[in-house]
Amino acid sequence: MNFLKIAWFEYHRRIRSKWFIIGTFGMPLLILGISLVTGYFAGSGAGLETKHFGLIDETGYYGSQLSQALDLRYADREFAPLDIAVSVGEFEKLQSQFDALVIDKTLEGYFVIGADFDRKPAVRLYARNSSNFRLTEVVEAELKDILIQNRASGLNLSNETLAELFFDIDVDYYDIGAVEERESDELIADYIAPFIFMFLLFLGIFTGGQLLLRAVLEERSSRVIEVLLSTVSYNDLMGGKILGLGLLGLTQSAIYLIVGLLAGNYYGLSLITPTIGALYFVYFILGYLLYAGIYIGVGALFDSEQEAQQAIQIITFIAIIPMVLWTVVIENPNSPLVNGLSYFPLVTPFFMMIKIAVGETTLLQVILTILLMIISVYGSIRLAAKVFRTGILLYGKRITLPEIIRWIRA
Amino acid sequence: MIELIEVTKQFDAIKAVDAVSIKVYPGRICGFLGPNGAGKTTSIRMLMNIIHPDSGTILFNGSVERPPAYQIGYLPEERGLYQKISIFETLQYFAHLRNVQDAHRKIKEHLQRFGLGDRHQSKVSELSKGNQQKLQFINTILHNPQYVVLDEPFSGLDPVNQLLLKEILEEMKQAGKTIIFSSHQMDQVERICDDVALIDQGRLVLAGNLDDIKKDHGNTQLQIIPENASDLEHEFFQSQASEIRSGSAYFNLIGNNKSKLIDQANKKFDLRTVRVAEPGLEEIFIHLVKGNQV
Repeated sequence: MNFLKIAWFEYHRRIRSKWFIIGTFGMPLLILGISLVTGYFAGSGAGLETKHFGLIDETGYYGSQLSQALDLRYADREFAPLDIAVSVGEFEKLQSQFDALVIDKTLEGYFVIGADFDRKPAVRLYARNSSNFRLTEVVEAELKDILIQNRASGLNLSNETLAELFFDIDVDYYDIGAVEERESDELIADYIAPFIFMFLLFLGIFTGGQLLLRAVLEERSSRVIEVLLSTVSYNDLMGGKILGLGLLGLTQSAIYLIVGLLAGNYYGLSLITPTIGALYFVYFILGYLLYAGIYIGVGALFDSEQEAQQAIQIITFIAIIPMVLWTVVIENPNSPLVNGLSYFPLVTPFFMMIKIAVGETTLLQVILTILLMIISVYGSIRLAAKVFRTGILLYGKRITLPEIIRWIRA
Repeated sequence: MIELIEVTKQFDAIKAVDAVSIKVYPGRICGFLGPNGAGKTTSIRMLMNIIHPDSGTILFNGSVERPPAYQIGYLPEERGLYQKISIFETLQYFAHLRNVQDAHRKIKEHLQRFGLGDRHQSKVSELSKGNQQKLQFINTILHNPQYVVLDEPFSGLDPVNQLLLKEILEEMKQAGKTIIFSSHQMDQVERICDDVALIDQGRLVLAGNLDDIKKDHGNTQLQIIPENASDLEHEFFQSQASEIRSGSAYFNLIGNNKSKLIDQANKKFDLRTVRVAEPGLEEIFIHLVKGNQV
């Protein structure tokens, strides 16, 4: 029963703390705020600058055509990333003048359309650096369209035939068996939702883990540990902490999921199915317990939070893999890399959560990963218990790896 | 009663506690004495079930069964409390872990007695070091434990609170509690304890009733201080005194030579002080430990 009392103590004193409240409600607000602000800036173009290029047009035709095409391309945007100033004339005569403009940074660079562009469709770019390849791709594409249209019109085709030749294609998305086309915000939700599930899992597991580390360090550095251990057993103390702080992480996750569910309903999106919700909690619990063992073990070995945090960084570095690879996982959920990493216990919950949310996993894989996690959790908690038992009372002593190995073997 | 029987604990190559046997009786205070690193804290941690002995037995009232937490009050040497919660919450948490009935009232009474009555809502971190010590002591005895183990309980307390602590120790003794008092300060142990156990380098050097130990191991000496320090050069002192240092001559008392020595000295010299010096625990300990090392 003592371990429930300890769990309640850890849970209760932290859930009332202002940092938990700020962290829990502040984090989503912060993320929302950042996405709104960046969205605003991306839309308005603030913070970005228009790149100015020159163009020497020896044909006297394609330069102005390109200029018009670009105007049309960026017409419905508040901000045009590319601006081209066209001069008709010969390259040899204009070269030194344009070079000077590039050197004094009025222009990023200048394009040259040769007099024989009709027959030899090539464009030269003279520039300070070659970092603007995304913009030159636009120039390539527009000039290609212009040239094709120009050549087509030389064939004396009717307007109807021309219209049949030049068109745009949109891909419309349908669910299997569905009649109505999917909305574009639904498509975004499909892409983002798996990430959000993984991110929440990540947040919950590591919030719990960090709190656990701090709780162990607090009892160690404040020296309250010895009185505690004369009152309760090691297992009660460790188990109570894991349970209490795990419940805290779970509370946080539950708040987020409920908010997500309500927000999803409001926008008519069904992001969380009962299966996803249930598996979320299964992987949360298993992932949390795995990391709890690691965090407790590390907490029992170090005197200062700084040293402990340095040691834990290595683990955090591994755990960051899914945060870096999430787009790869969403786009290639069944690639050998993703499938392989899904069986690496430290990242299994995160990879599996994405795969489940995308709907690209098998029942067998879910069962196998859960079994693997249970075995890993058993190992992690057992090792942590051994390290905790011996390390927690060794104040002010630098503990070496051979010592730790000896404790574990004992 | 607490009994340690042939208890041994080894850390790597070092025998921290080596076949130590001690009996601690109810209604008495037993002093654990020894220099730093002698094995006192390790012995206490084994008593508290925090670490396990490699061999030997620990009995509480004749049973190997460890008593429940509410029967044990432990004030470790390395001690501290949660800093970010209030005094009241701290005591409440531990009382809850020890299944204390009527905890609210007991907490208030104890805080009152230690002069912390109006501060029960203060955070522990806001208390002075001395007040934190008091709080730790309250936490040790709040649940009225049968077995009380105090490791250096006086460190950090001012004289007024040292007195209060002594008073409470006396009360607990009268109430029949079994009390262990560990310290490396011999004079404190001498003043408070009924029994002592001297530990050095993990071994029990000496154990038993304090008065008996003094009788058995101490040399009662006669100390004479002449008015003129130069008198100490006289043949009387030089031939008969066992030791002459810092203006005093010390004579070992053998049989009934006490009054004879005083008479002789009084006739020959002008004397400032004549007194019979009881052996101190410290001397006995140093004597025994040195003997150990030879």
